Amino acid sequence: MLKIENLYAGVEDAKIINGLSLDIPAGEVHAVMGPNGAGKSTLSYTIAGRDDYSVTGGAVSLDGDDLLELSADERAAKGLFLSFQHPMEIPGVQTMNFIRTAMNAQRRVRGEDEITAGEFLKAIREKAKIVGLDDAKLKRPFNVGFSGGEKKRMEMLQMAMLEPRFVVMDETDSGLDIDALKIVGDVVNALREPSRGFLVITHYQRLLEYIKPDRVHVLAGGRIVKSGGPDLAVELEKSGYEQFIEAA
Amino acid sequence: MNTQVIKDPTTFEYSLEAVFRERDSISRAQHAAFEQYAAIRMPHRRLEDWKWSDFNAELRDKSPSLAPTAEALVDTFPLSELDPLEFRIVNGRIILPDEAPRDGIDFGVMDPVGTIPELEKHPLAILNVAMISKACGIQIQEGVDYQRPIVIRHINYGGGLTFAHGLMRISKGASATVIESFEGEGAALGSYLCHMSVCDNAHIRRYVISEEETDAVTHSILAAKIDKNARFDQTSLSTGSRLSRHETVLHYCDDDVRANIDSVALLADDRHADFTTNILHKAPGCITRQRHKGIATDKGRAVFQGKFAVERQAQKTFAQMSANALLLSDESEANHKPELEIYADDVECAHGSTSGALDEDALFYLRQRGLSEREARAILTMAFATEVLDDIEHDEISVMMEGRVNAWLGASI
Repeated sequence: MLKIENLYAGVEDAKIINGLSLDIPAGEVHAVMGPNGAGKSTLSYTIAGRDDYSVTGGAVSLDGDDLLELSADERAAKGLFLSFQHPMEIPGVQTMNFIRTAMNAQRRVRGEDEITAGEFLKAIREKAKIVGLDDAKLKRPFNVGFSGGEKKRMEMLQMAMLEPRFVVMDETDSGLDIDALKIVGDVVNALREPSRGFLVITHYQRLLEYIKPDRVHVLAGGRIVKSGGPDLAVELEKSGYEQFIEAA
Repeated sequence: MNTQVIKDPTTFEYSLEAVFRERDSISRAQHAAFEQYAAIRMPHRRLEDWKWSDFNAELRDKSPSLAPTAEALVDTFPLSELDPLEFRIVNGRIILPDEAPRDGIDFGVMDPVGTIPELEKHPLAILNVAMISKACGIQIQEGVDYQRPIVIRHINYGGGLTFAHGLMRISKGASATVIESFEGEGAALGSYLCHMSVCDNAHIRRYVISEEETDAVTHSILAAKIDKNARFDQTSLSTGSRLSRHETVLHYCDDDVRANIDSVALLADDRHADFTTNILHKAPGCITRQRHKGIATDKGRAVFQGKFAVERQAQKTFAQMSANALLLSDESEANHKPELEIYADDVECAHGSTSGALDEDALFYLRQRGLSEREARAILTMAFATEVLDDIEHDEISVMMEGRVNAWLGASI
């Protein structure tokens, strides 16, 4: 599924990711945890293909397809979804129109038929209910005037609608209360299936109480410094990241 | 024996004067107007109000003649489902609708009047007064809510000089929707001056669509006198041309006037659009809301000059102006001049002006959801414009305007 080999990447002149390797097989959820400045957001932006992040070495592939050769939208059409730490507000763009436009843009690239208005409405109403967003929100400009929690629910709604093959969650838990965390967990757990993979990037262990990871990795100094099972997250919660910062 | 009225004329002004003298009949008032023009002459960049729209530089070396008057082959105007009442002014010639006035509207071709005192020193207004022969007159009768959109199509072609004049009256308690389009190849100089009276408790919705071909040089002025408790709503959309300026001059003559004045400029290649407005609050309790959105790519240039003047007696005025520019290329340009001139002490007036590029974070967000760079840029640009266009009262007109924006985005982004 997602394979990162000896990746070196950064933004402008800053070298942030320094020889990072990760292999996340289909059907698994891997958590990457790390302190501030470890390179967590750089990792997610680099995987997703943000233009101002440059890769100076290594490889990233999804099911064998070289992602680094593709633009951000081409990666999205391949089934890569990034749940943003700080989702954008887009005034003037109605939420439902935007999600439908995104779905159809991906479908066109994949050579699939566009979703009909009827199918779309049925699906979005059903999924909006699950993530706890009412109809009125779907008719409003995208994320405008939404609380932090509502914006994260909107990320979950898009994830549920777009049905990606691989999901990168960049600190989705930041700013969320317990109820919203539970919703995030429920949506992710509902989408877990043998053909889909997840990379959950987080500071804290609490999200992992709702999304049980198969593997936990510690990111420090731009590379993975330790990997283990779910217990590693619990251990980090107790011991903190200091030992890894020093080691990095 | 004629003596040259314009001293040391440019090539253009020499032609202008020749055209003026060749006319069949010239009234005393028009002679006076032309002499007044000769004293002021074609506006140029050294004048504060014209520094970004230099008509003299654009025209001085040209020697156009009066454009021929004839029918033009044009497409049917959209909105046929609303049964519009269509007027055409083709190279200055007025073509009335092919039906008799009914349902509370009067119209006809009439002798023009002069202009308002405030425009007597406006070079292009006074030139228009000197050069026109007839005016297109439209009146909505008292208390009539006229349902059909009144479409006035200004169609210029052939690269000559064209002058047109409009007189419009929305009588007491009446309401109407007017759509004015500027279309076609355009003129060497196309000039339009419209005087409007919006009487007590009347409501006018005016939409302006300026979509001429690249070489057009266009200037228009709407000068409206607005009476007690009347309402004026205007939304303008321009894709510019070589040089294009649409001016709106409003005088609030009595209490409680409400006005919304919105404009959107969409400029590609080296097109230029100038929206200049001058709103004079002369009475208490009036409200003005104005928004301008300028979008420019390539070497496009969006000019906005907005002035709110509030006289001493116009207490409790509420007036807000915002001008935002979206610059999509390194060489595109936006020039904003918001102005407040306030002599009353109990008013709430504000203006704001911004310019910037598309938000890189928003672009990445959209692309991560699968939109191509072009689609993402188009959707964000459309969103910028629709903040204004979404508020148009008629759904059909809103859809038509958004369609024009989409067409521009398809060709220019």
